[in-house]
Amino acid sequence: MKITVIESVLKANDAVARTNRRRMDEAKLLAVNIMSAPGSGKTALLEKTIPAFDGHLRSAVLVGDLQTTRDAERLARLTAQTTQINTGQGCHLSAAQVAQGLDSLDLAQIDLLFIENVGNMVCPAGVDLGEHVRVALLSVPEGDDKVAKYPTLFQPADVILLTKVDLLNVLDFDRGRVRDDLSRINTRAPLIELSAKTGQGMDDWLGWLAGRRAERIETAV
Amino acid sequence: MHELSIAADLLRNVLAVAAEHEAVRIEQVTIEVGVLRQVVPEAIVEAFAMLAVGTAAEGAALKVTELPARAECRRCGNTYAVSVDVYVCPQCGQADARLVDGNDILLQTVVCQT
Repeated sequence: MKITVIESVLKANDAVARTNRRRMDEAKLLAVNIMSAPGSGKTALLEKTIPAFDGHLRSAVLVGDLQTTRDAERLARLTAQTTQINTGQGCHLSAAQVAQGLDSLDLAQIDLLFIENVGNMVCPAGVDLGEHVRVALLSVPEGDDKVAKYPTLFQPADVILLTKVDLLNVLDFDRGRVRDDLSRINTRAPLIELSAKTGQGMDDWLGWLAGRRAERIETAV
Repeated sequence: MHELSIAADLLRNVLAVAAEHEAVRIEQVTIEVGVLRQVVPEAIVEAFAMLAVGTAAEGAALKVTELPARAECRRCGNTYAVSVDVYVCPQCGQADARLVDGNDILLQTVVCQT
């Protein structure tokens, strides 16, 4: 017997993602899905971002890794609302894992929820978690060819951060090449060059984030 | 290796369909995979076969075909075909694409014995 089905295999994830989005909408928080290769500086970025909003916007973090609670330990120093999600063999966070993570947080006390995805340039990109905005990081040591090599990470991004720009003068990295590749892949997202270490460009990133948070409040009213 | 999680979702769907039709054995499954998913057909076939061991889908053949990608331009509203590495709108020249097709994975048919 041949049964014709024609339904999305991903519908289970997408349904949970919609529920996540509704919960986070109701809490009037901005959910930020942060994606990049391992070692691009996602955690270092958050270590500088969270304190910058101290006394102004309350942050929380869901951090995904295959193993260890190292990132959560680093981030728990900055916000009590930090939850580590270990994905085991899973190469990306799923909407269901985020839903569980949300259960562990007091959403009413959060303005910015950072979801630090598993370090991976392919797998997380196609998985909706219910986030409001997507951030893609590219660090200078990774090389200037990565936007073209991993277009599906950068295409849906709402902002692209070129991190570790303090290393530009020691590495051969052509920023023109990144901009040229983005002209074919994503002309919507601003490209912000920053260094979490020196603080260069951090104001642009913080300003972008505060702007998206303000928009969210407006649409939620 | 996102093929593993996709294969797990697929198997869950396939077994649900089979149970609905009171099938005892699943012989063949066909799926369409959006090109932007970057699914390696051999990897999903292997992952599916591995996960299906001990279920009604054990030994079932998985056939994978690719779905092309399409986008709608957020700037000018044009709908156009995109490839994995180029998203430029042919009408306005911007790469401000909202993806319409190419990201989904569709379970098409299940062939089974009842």
